Amino acid sequence: MLRIDRRLLQNVDWALLAAACALVLISVMTLATLSVGRAGGVVALRQAVWFGVGLLALVAVASLDYRRFVRAAPALYLLGLGALALVWVVGRSVSGARRWIVLGPLSVQPSELFKVCFVLMAVWVITSRGAQPMGRTTLAMTLPIAAVPFVLIIKQPDLGTALLLFPVLMVLLVGAGLRLRVLGGAVATGLAALPLAWLVLKDYQRERILVFLDPVRDPLGSAYNVIQAKIAIGSGQFLGKGVAGATQSQLAFLPERHTDFIFAVFAETWGFVGCLVLLTCYLLLLLRGFDIAGSAREPVGRLVALGMTALLAVQVVINVGMVTGLLPVVGIPLPLMSYGGSSMLASLVAIGLLLSVRMRQFQ
Amino acid sequence: MNPVFGHRGMPGRRDAVERRVMAIAVVVTAVFVIIVGQLWYLQVLEGGRFLDASDKNRIRIRPIAAPRGILFDRHGTPLVDNRPAFTLSLIPRELPRESASRDAVLGRVASLLRIPYQELQDAVARVQLDSFLPVRVRRGLTLGDVAKVEEWKLELPGVIAEVEPQRVYPTSRFAAHLLGYVREANDDQLRQGRYRRGEMVGQSGLERLLDDYLRGQDGGERIEVDAMGRPVRVIQQSEPHAGAQVITTVDRRIQEATERAMEGNAGAAVVMDPRNGDLLAMVSTPAFALDRFTETIDRNAWLRVVQDPRFPLMNRAVQGQYAPASIFKILVAAAGLQEGSITPADSTHCTGEFRLGNATFRDWKEGGHGTVDLKRAIMHSCNIYFYQAGLKVGVATLLRYASAFGFGASTGIELQGEKFGLVPRPARRGWPLGETVNLSIGQGPVLVTPTQVARFIAAVANGGVLWRPRIVQRIERPDGGLLYSDAGQVNGHVELSPIVWEFLRRSLWAAVNDGGTGAGARIPGLDIAGKTGTAQIIGKSKAALGQDHAWFAAFAPVKDPEVVVVVLAERGGKGGEVAAPIARQILNAIFFEKVAAIEIGG
Repeated sequence: MLRIDRRLLQNVDWALLAAACALVLISVMTLATLSVGRAGGVVALRQAVWFGVGLLALVAVASLDYRRFVRAAPALYLLGLGALALVWVVGRSVSGARRWIVLGPLSVQPSELFKVCFVLMAVWVITSRGAQPMGRTTLAMTLPIAAVPFVLIIKQPDLGTALLLFPVLMVLLVGAGLRLRVLGGAVATGLAALPLAWLVLKDYQRERILVFLDPVRDPLGSAYNVIQAKIAIGSGQFLGKGVAGATQSQLAFLPERHTDFIFAVFAETWGFVGCLVLLTCYLLLLLRGFDIAGSAREPVGRLVALGMTALLAVQVVINVGMVTGLLPVVGIPLPLMSYGGSSMLASLVAIGLLLSVRMRQFQ
Repeated sequence: MNPVFGHRGMPGRRDAVERRVMAIAVVVTAVFVIIVGQLWYLQVLEGGRFLDASDKNRIRIRPIAAPRGILFDRHGTPLVDNRPAFTLSLIPRELPRESASRDAVLGRVASLLRIPYQELQDAVARVQLDSFLPVRVRRGLTLGDVAKVEEWKLELPGVIAEVEPQRVYPTSRFAAHLLGYVREANDDQLRQGRYRRGEMVGQSGLERLLDDYLRGQDGGERIEVDAMGRPVRVIQQSEPHAGAQVITTVDRRIQEATERAMEGNAGAAVVMDPRNGDLLAMVSTPAFALDRFTETIDRNAWLRVVQDPRFPLMNRAVQGQYAPASIFKILVAAAGLQEGSITPADSTHCTGEFRLGNATFRDWKEGGHGTVDLKRAIMHSCNIYFYQAGLKVGVATLLRYASAFGFGASTGIELQGEKFGLVPRPARRGWPLGETVNLSIGQGPVLVTPTQVARFIAAVANGGVLWRPRIVQRIERPDGGLLYSDAGQVNGHVELSPIVWEFLRRSLWAAVNDGGTGAGARIPGLDIAGKTGTAQIIGKSKAALGQDHAWFAAFAPVKDPEVVVVVLAERGGKGGEVAAPIARQILNAIFFEKVAAIEIGG
């Protein structure tokens, strides 16, 4: 089916793959320690299965030329938008948010997979002839790519994923060589428009931002998550409390502990030392990604690599930042760690694309 | 070669775009460093504080109140017991730290259980906020209240309904003064710093006297709970140590019989063993309802008891001071015989009147008793005889004997608040003879308590030994270890000739059994010796007629006395008519087996 070139195999970035696998291993172990009623082991098992599925996707993506994906980007992007719109029609609502489409036994979160499509689309536009030379025109062409899904996603509502799009786009434009002054102007305009955004936000989203600014505002309500996460992380101290002693996680004081707050579970269990190991894995992964971008020979490959790396980096930073109390709570999963098939699949596809770029950098 | 930024086969050229990628990588790395810094802050610098907070999250303190020690009678029958009851308590450490959310919790409790909000605020205001010790806010919760607290427990951190043993009494007024009531520490006691707010403290009687023994030590459990407040496991447990058990000298059967006998009268009754000073019963009426004080009592109900003009809280057996009246004649006779001032053969013709100077002193009996010797004077309680006898003996000797028999001083009883009565100092000059005349029949400037009288009568019965009234035999730890024991103590002795003692005992026997004033106490077959007394209330008017205090003091059996019974009925009337039948009823209960045997045996 797929013809695999020996030269391609020689250029597989094993360090990148190893870091990703290590993170998934940590994720499965952490999920396994969480006893969620009778479903305790099931969650870990499902995560492992999703990893297997994701790994197949990764291999498939990596064995194909990334340029084919970029060429197909408009179609993928429109497909993604369609899925986002579909959420509104057939979406399943979980705790007030419509983010999932149910497909038989699976529930898919289109916004997760859309992130990858979005990056590919942005690369397609930036590298298209019409966007040359880089300048205000490029900016004007790319902004709608982010703006349209932004509106769709923020209405789900999913503030985190929606906000993710702009930093990633920014990184792409910087990488593409857009003059920083132009970009700076755009950012300044965006910041000036923030008060307008306040009007669009849902009440609970506003509350979360206010709570971030003043955590004791509502200790049993919105701030509960942040307070409990900080307690979990802090009480891990230097060496961690171990699996049995991690009471914040085990006794369910920590909310969303399988998904968005899984970092806090890990931090409570393994302490500062464990966190260093985990963050080192992530940094290794990301720096390999940046290296692939930096060493890519042609602009499409470089931008694909940069975009995928930025996608992962921004998610990691926002997630860990919110769990540790540095940023307001927005629902963003920790790539490769948080439980969730869509997120796992999206992250592994992104890594597959990175590998694809790396493997073809000398062609 | 740098493993991360390797340039495999790339030309060394670094264009602007590659530098931008580098810059982005550096920015991301810097953000990671910031995150590590934050983790260092949270986990290493502030880790201890967060560890505390996580413990506070998961650990719940459940106090286990120690049951108060139980008071037993001399045969091992309990005088009080405990039953489990529900108490609303606040655990300060588990209440929210921020005052706004703490107020919200207290507000919820207030509206849920209809407790004044201010009461809850006050309870919290006076304790350390990191204290594990429960603040007991309200006792006697209904099962409905308990269910509410349990149902809302997630919204009520630090609020619990705990099981606390509560006193339960055979009847609500049983031995009320002797046992005493238990109630939350009052402001004065809190100020002394020995008690915590909401702690139950013995406030009167034995409960107060022995509070340190009875109180016990509360235990507790540290329970790990999950986020839903469901208990997961017990981390630490300290058993409560029940209070010590007190074995008193009281005989519950006699106490109950005495209370029954005293029903409807205000006054006091004391039953004592003359062989060792044991108090078998001590009754003061009217009594108060012990159990009314244990639960939260409203202000008005409290004031009704405290301000009751009949003084139900006063223990008349040790705090009531009365003129001894004719009971005192026994002492006059004892002093006169021992000092040789009078002899049993001395007789007087009683016309019902006695003149001293311008004053006329009357006998209680219109027309007098005719010719009486000492024995008949005691039997019939002839005032005229004793007016003369008192003058012969002299006031100084009378007062010396009064003091020797323990009047005007503490009996040594351990109950708090004992009154000593009054024996005036024998003045050399300026003592009017009329006072001596009054004193001779137990009126005038002499006051005694029923317990002093019981001790005096016991000395007459046992030949002059004055025992310290004993209430507590021993105090034992629940496991049986002895904490305290009291073997009894003689704290006074009156040396009289055996013939004098014998004469007194016979005369007192005759007063009951040979047609004397004490006939109302007579039980055929049981040799009771006794003396009546009728204490006149000063300022006698028509309205006050029949308002005299009635005394009866008895011991039985006369040969080998086993019990002393002293009855005082306030404003009851004549001793022989009111107090003697009460004493008879008590003695009947004490000796009912003996009495029944005599009746059956004919």
